[in-house]
Amino acid sequence: MTRFSLRISALALAASLALSGQAIAQGTPVRGGTLSMILNPEPPVLVTGVNSASPVAAVSPRMFEGLATYTPDFKMVPVLATSWDQSADGKTITFKLRPNVKWHDGKPFTSADVQFSFMDILKKVHSRGTATYLHLIAVETPDPLTAIFKLDEPSPYIMRALAGVESPIMPKHIYEGSDPLKNPANVKPIGTGPFKFKEWERGNYIMLERNPDYWDAGKPYLDAIIFRIIPDGSARAVALESGAVQYGTQYVVPLNDVARLAKLPNLNVTTAGYEYNTSVNYLEFNLRRPYLQDRRVRQAIAHTINTDFLVKNVWFGFATKATSPVTDKQKDFHTANVPQYPYDLKKAEQLLDEAGYKKGADGIRFKVTIDWSPSGEMFKQTAELLRQGLQRVGIQAEIRNSDSPTYLRRVWTDNDFDINIYSASNIADPVIGIQRFYWSKSIQKGVTYSNGSGYNNPEMDKILESAQIENDPAKRRKLYEDTQRLVMTDLPNMGLVYIQWFTIHDKKVKNLNTTGLGPMESFADVYIEK
Amino acid sequence: MQAFRDFWRRYRRKTSAVIGLVLLLFVFLVAFVGPWIVPGDPWDMATMPFLWPGTNAEFPLGSDTLGRDILTGIIHGSRVSLLIGFAATLAALGLGVTVGALAGYFRGWIDDVLMRITEIFQTVPTFLLAVVLVAIFKPSMTTIVLAISAVTWPSIARLVRAEFLSLREREFVQSCVVIGMGETRIIFRQILPNCLPPIIVMSSVMVASAILTESGLSFLGLGDPNLMSWGTMIGIGRDAMRTAWYMSALPGVAILITVLALNLVGEGLNDALNPRLKNH
Repeated sequence: MTRFSLRISALALAASLALSGQAIAQGTPVRGGTLSMILNPEPPVLVTGVNSASPVAAVSPRMFEGLATYTPDFKMVPVLATSWDQSADGKTITFKLRPNVKWHDGKPFTSADVQFSFMDILKKVHSRGTATYLHLIAVETPDPLTAIFKLDEPSPYIMRALAGVESPIMPKHIYEGSDPLKNPANVKPIGTGPFKFKEWERGNYIMLERNPDYWDAGKPYLDAIIFRIIPDGSARAVALESGAVQYGTQYVVPLNDVARLAKLPNLNVTTAGYEYNTSVNYLEFNLRRPYLQDRRVRQAIAHTINTDFLVKNVWFGFATKATSPVTDKQKDFHTANVPQYPYDLKKAEQLLDEAGYKKGADGIRFKVTIDWSPSGEMFKQTAELLRQGLQRVGIQAEIRNSDSPTYLRRVWTDNDFDINIYSASNIADPVIGIQRFYWSKSIQKGVTYSNGSGYNNPEMDKILESAQIENDPAKRRKLYEDTQRLVMTDLPNMGLVYIQWFTIHDKKVKNLNTTGLGPMESFADVYIEK
Repeated sequence: MQAFRDFWRRYRRKTSAVIGLVLLLFVFLVAFVGPWIVPGDPWDMATMPFLWPGTNAEFPLGSDTLGRDILTGIIHGSRVSLLIGFAATLAALGLGVTVGALAGYFRGWIDDVLMRITEIFQTVPTFLLAVVLVAIFKPSMTTIVLAISAVTWPSIARLVRAEFLSLREREFVQSCVVIGMGETRIIFRQILPNCLPPIIVMSSVMVASAILTESGLSFLGLGDPNLMSWGTMIGIGRDAMRTAWYMSALPGVAILITVLALNLVGEGLNDALNPRLKNH
């Protein structure tokens, strides 16, 4: 098969997968069995409440639940809350909590845990929670099974942020009085979810076992979940092919290998289950760097990237060209009517000359470093493409490889980077998914996937803050169109491609995508056909 | 000149040694002249990705996952791989010879201390130690060279020490002591030249293993991300092993040829320089 026809079939595959993305319960569940899943890279902690990076999100939701979860079309489904009621002014939300829920250590789950999770964890240390719950001023707990959210401004998006992966309810008795970022339970979690933490052998596997006291009697169906840490893409492909592991998500195998795997009789490839988690591949500039402070330099760099090449040869059709920082899958907010930076090296050179960075005798204007998220080969390849583009316009770029903890620290704690290539989820609403990158109050050292560029523009803050309390959908849309326009003008970061993630799993594994969260669901419903 | 002629006569007795030398000279030629014949940046996305070898005359060895020319990569990569191989060996020689000479000449507590340190290094698996060192100090050309030399010097130190222990008891050394020659002079002018043959033999094998180690590191993603070495190329091709094996295989062949050549040359040198085999 020639390269060309293979690529066409990969695109066709991606398209057909998108069409078959349905979420229906299948067959009659059976108890028993262990599900082996691929995990890469190894996460630093296992609790999304304190670290929202994607490898953490791959593990955490089996152990931690939210108040609710969502169907693929964003209808709320009860989890730890059994019912909810919003006041007419949108400033009070009352949650009735599920009775007889126990933490994995046997302590009862109460409204105090809900209060603590939102007020002391999510509002304070979560990369997106600080924005999502900005207007949440108190959680009242009149009785152990009632939590009343008090808001000083209406925040409609809160009702889309309650999933376990996004806003996990965490145990007050474990975290109270400690620095949540340093609590030992972050690597040995205590949750309410269908699976309990058993052991973590670093560099090898993480094992979760069935929670026999789970509130949904009879569930989960699986005895255990093992996350196998397999750093090599080809090895992951072999593991899936041989049946050694039965499930892998996001960037699980080299994208050039997906078409081949999809043809195997035991495997299924699906794009279902990514309705909630729509990711964008971003390029971020560190605005603390003298060269990059000049907007023209950032715009010039944007002109050196051939995104068509990225879509075709790096993402193999599992992505589309980005036209703004908000994914086009969020039809309520996305607009392409913003400044664009097509691949144009002449324009880039012209902008750099205008900015006063002339080529030296060696043909070099200045040097930058490129860091890339070690969660996928695509980001490395993007870095390599960028380096070649930059070189052509006289910017010498050096790529730096690092492991996941080093990378996260470098970008979001030490701010020791020039250009960063990464992907981040847009989640269900711009307040949750987008605001964190551009709001000056999201410049928080140590909070991963926050405003790492150090972008601080009062005009942007004003737009974001008024969008946050706007209840009228049309006005909100207008404000987020302004946001996208301003981002694409100032370019603290820019979207490169909109990612279409996919899951590869053994056909015997059933009930994987019963909700819109797919891989980030609790897996209480998942079973393995005998 | 006569000495060299003798040496060459002994060296060429072994066909494999001559083949090794020819191969090695060829690799050197490619490294020195190649980049002028095939100019261009090996990182440039020059053509369509996944181009199979032999399908396009302009890119005879095909292209990799991002459309980079594999021939350009192999030719430019030869410089990087050889440079790392030789630099790492030189650094290891510097350290190993010094430690071995001091330990073997002075013996006593100096020997004890130096040998215990050497043993610490020898008890750790070399490749693992190299991986750890590179991971800690961030992958770059310098750290890779230093890491490789840090794990290879102990064998040189051991060898030199053994030679020194035996040579320092010989009459020519003792006569030097008697005429009042300084210790530095005895070590460097008298003993060291006499233990050069085994060092040279060992070095050629060390260059080969340094090239292999660098390839191994790059394969694991611990290579210098800004240098196109053969190991880097194999690492790039690794992801496409099932669909386009040639991306890893072609630079693999380059490594094979170079390492084989170095080993054959090493063996030939061993035979040619070994005094016990001189008259056969």
